[in-house]
Amino acid sequence: MKKLALAATSSLIIAAATAAAATAAAAADSAASFTAAAEQSRLEFVGVQAGAEFKGVFHKFTASVEFAPDALASSRIDVQIDMNSVDSMDKDRDTTIRSKDVFDVSHDPTAHYVTKTITKTATGFAAAGALTLRGVTKDVPIEFQFAPAGAGAKLSGSAKLNRLDFGVGQGEWKSTETIADAVKINFSLVLKPKT
Amino acid sequence: MPNQNSPSRYGAVAQAFHWIIAALIVTQFTLGWTAQFLPLGARKVARLDWHKSFGMTILTLAVLRLLWRLFNRPPELPAGMTTIEKQLARATHALFYVLLFVMPLTGWMMSSAKNYSVSWFHQFTWPNLIGPNEQAFNLLRTTHDTLSWLLFALALLHILAALKHHFWNKDDVLKRMLPFTKTEK
Repeated sequence: MKKLALAATSSLIIAAATAAAATAAAAADSAASFTAAAEQSRLEFVGVQAGAEFKGVFHKFTASVEFAPDALASSRIDVQIDMNSVDSMDKDRDTTIRSKDVFDVSHDPTAHYVTKTITKTATGFAAAGALTLRGVTKDVPIEFQFAPAGAGAKLSGSAKLNRLDFGVGQGEWKSTETIADAVKINFSLVLKPKT
Repeated sequence: MPNQNSPSRYGAVAQAFHWIIAALIVTQFTLGWTAQFLPLGARKVARLDWHKSFGMTILTLAVLRLLWRLFNRPPELPAGMTTIEKQLARATHALFYVLLFVMPLTGWMMSSAKNYSVSWFHQFTWPNLIGPNEQAFNLLRTTHDTLSWLLFALALLHILAALKHHFWNKDDVLKRMLPFTKTEK
């Protein structure tokens, strides 16, 4: 009788342990799905013109994010940017930026960024990803923080890229004396659960 | 030549301020007026980049020059001048000082209003004085441009007056602002 009870208990423990492991495995495989809320999210670039920094934003972009800090293998950030929505707070400069020599928006109206791998760092997360801009695809790493907030989250971070890698700036705009090659990108996405 | 002004002539410091700023203003007219005729492009950006760096240099020198002048009275005007002539001369110089500040400040504000921050020879960036504002920019550009004509007219008057004093009145007014010359007294 005692023997039987012991056997039953141990099999119960094994069953419970197996179930728990299965649950954990399921969680590790599924990152939560989000989309960025357009009005509260911000995608900003900082360039250097004539030795002085200037900021601009893209008003229109969509971001689809699959993310869980414990499921990085299945996490992914995918951003589509409407290049026509560029705003550097000066109409003359915006016209130049949209022109053939710079973004060439009539030919390439959309830029696309998608991560390949995401890893944990001391301060947050880092991702290797590919940016397609002006028809050229190059690797651009990003660094970001992920802060859950209710059902959603806030994803904010930065990247650095060289505009000439993508051919942004042809002809007279190639000169890095007038416009520096290095451009900083800052983003702050307010994520809502995907419905 | 002593650094300080004497009753009969300007000292080395005042002369340096005068001639360096004069040379910079000539440079500014050349850069600023020619940039207007360039199409919007990299060449125009580059030329205005120099114009802004020189402009901020003038503003800095104007502050130092005014301080120097406050603690170092300029030489007396020639005794032969009438009261009205002296008042006109002083008014011209006062207006010069006003423009030495207002020209760079309106230029700096123009750049701020257009969200093109001002760099100083690519060494550092001056803070923006106002936020991006197209209407303010247009108003400031008109002001900056109009005042440049006033400054041009004033400079012409200043040069003609100096020559008149030298060749017509045969006094020391021109010589006391020139290095390597001797003045009486």
